[in-house]
Amino acid sequence: MDLKLASRKNKKKTIVDVDGIKIGEELVVIGGPCAVESEEQTMKAARAVKAGGGKILRGGAFKPRTSPYSFQGLGLKGLRILEKAKQETGLPIISEVMDSRDVTWVAEYVDILQIGARNMQNFSLLKEIGKTKKPTMLKRGMYSTLKEWLNCAEYILSEGNPNVILCERGIRTFESYTRNTLDLSMIPSVKEVTHLPIIIDPSHGTGKLSLIEPMAKAAVAAGADGLMVEVHPDPKNAKSDQQQQMTPDQFKKFMKNVNALDNFING
Amino acid sequence: MNDKLLKQIRKNIDYIDKKIIHLLNERMENALKASKVKETIEDKSREKQILAKISRKEGNLVDQEFILELYKSLFNESRTLQEKGLKLIGFQGAHGAYSEMAAKNWNKKLVSIPCDTFAEVFEGVKTGLYDYGILPVENTLGGVVGTVNELLMNDDELKIVGAIEQPIEHCLLYPEAEKFRDIRKVYSHSQAISQCKNFLERNNLEPVKYYDTAGAAKLVAEEKPEATGAIASSLAAELYDLEIVKQNIENVSKNRTRFFILSKTAQSKEGDKCTIIFSTAHKAGTLFNVLSIFADAKINLTRIESMPSGTGNYSFFLDFIGSIKDEKIQKILQEVQDNTENYRIMGCYKERSNQ
Repeated sequence: MDLKLASRKNKKKTIVDVDGIKIGEELVVIGGPCAVESEEQTMKAARAVKAGGGKILRGGAFKPRTSPYSFQGLGLKGLRILEKAKQETGLPIISEVMDSRDVTWVAEYVDILQIGARNMQNFSLLKEIGKTKKPTMLKRGMYSTLKEWLNCAEYILSEGNPNVILCERGIRTFESYTRNTLDLSMIPSVKEVTHLPIIIDPSHGTGKLSLIEPMAKAAVAAGADGLMVEVHPDPKNAKSDQQQQMTPDQFKKFMKNVNALDNFING
Repeated sequence: MNDKLLKQIRKNIDYIDKKIIHLLNERMENALKASKVKETIEDKSREKQILAKISRKEGNLVDQEFILELYKSLFNESRTLQEKGLKLIGFQGAHGAYSEMAAKNWNKKLVSIPCDTFAEVFEGVKTGLYDYGILPVENTLGGVVGTVNELLMNDDELKIVGAIEQPIEHCLLYPEAEKFRDIRKVYSHSQAISQCKNFLERNNLEPVKYYDTAGAAKLVAEEKPEATGAIASSLAAELYDLEIVKQNIENVSKNRTRFFILSKTAQSKEGDKCTIIFSTAHKAGTLFNVLSIFADAKINLTRIESMPSGTGNYSFFLDFIGSIKDEKIQKILQEVQDNTENYRIMGCYKERSNQ
């Protein structure tokens, strides 16, 4: 692989510091709703994430949806709600940026920029994000190989932004029981090839509530640097991803079990 | 189709109503200003004059009788307001300016009147148009407000009767926040622009200097210049119906401005802070000698500012903690006066910090 900057050969492990939370050093759990739907919903979710021991709040303001008729997100209003949730809970914010024109604006509001799976190879977006120094989580495209994925990370790094975090969120296979096939082999593979931290998203990776915790545990066992899961105060009435968002109670239990395993493995 | 049309027309009506209220407010402000300079409140000949002027308008849809009735009640309201003996405070900028926020925090009973320039505030207090004037003296990010210090230096009439620190939280305002991508230019006061320099650079926005932050918000709201936003307070957003694109856009989060409140008569209540001004002879160590008087007496100096006054000469502003009613302070000030030129006490007042 022709990786000048992402290659493990050139550098020690990257630790991305987000408000003192060190991604790459400790197991970091990111939680929150799929989309910011309202202030009340987001505040409730943020409090649940905080109470459960989550370190970072997720929430989509600009949503990439398969159908143009699906809920597209609250946009700037959504970012403002996230900012408010941060003020109350102290949790740093991660949110997706889809449009290269929005990069600097979203960066004003969030602590980590997220590049969604569908935008992994949006090279102008990658370059624009590379010009900022914002921590950035690059999701693996659903049809992408490790090499393609890391080349996209290389785009961000080569523009001068060293704070790249990878995120495996499942790929398309012929299996239809699960929403995607969560490729956990990527955890050790990424670690063999690069110095970048990797986070696992079992919510999108499986699309099934019952599978999230087992796959999260498997990810921790395989050495993941963090987990990203969806938490919603009322998943049944969510505007998106109804099948895979945890309730606050479910998240609490999830955190307890995942932390127990993490303590067992990593001390 | 008709629904859409009606909606648009109603939007226009709402806009006109808002303008009428703004204008009525402005009219009342001017009536109050007039009451400060005229002999008696009721002036029948002036009322007649006004009525004659407005009834000459031709091609008007509005019935003359109606206008007459409207103005009669307007005159009544104006008189009642004038009779209240309200105290006025002049501030630089348009309504919603940080100076106005500071004035309200200093004394919410005062009626704040907008002025275009610092000099206008100054002159207004001198001529008795305003009972007080409020002026910014220094900011934690933008530094000294030079023009204000110059005005203070060249004056020997007005007294500082109060000081207040006001937190400044700049916001980027635009008519429709969701259309933030369109913004290219940003109007604001030069101080606000320098305080938000990093934000403007990060987002590739071109700053355009304007006389006031709230004035910039007013301009953006009323004239809607293409792709143009304003940096102003959240209060300005509320007043001019603009939306906040981003709050707290200043370079450093601890952004505060200190304001002086000026009046023709010195503060009668005991203060806890004093401001003096003096110049020193062009000799080595003269300023040092003055400062050592304070140091020896263990008096805490809170501000020292120098201003060039004529060729090669400097005037100094000195703020220190203490009251001029204190005998120890009086003795020290006598010593300072003996060692300096053009010495003057600008005021002894209560310093207030607004969290």
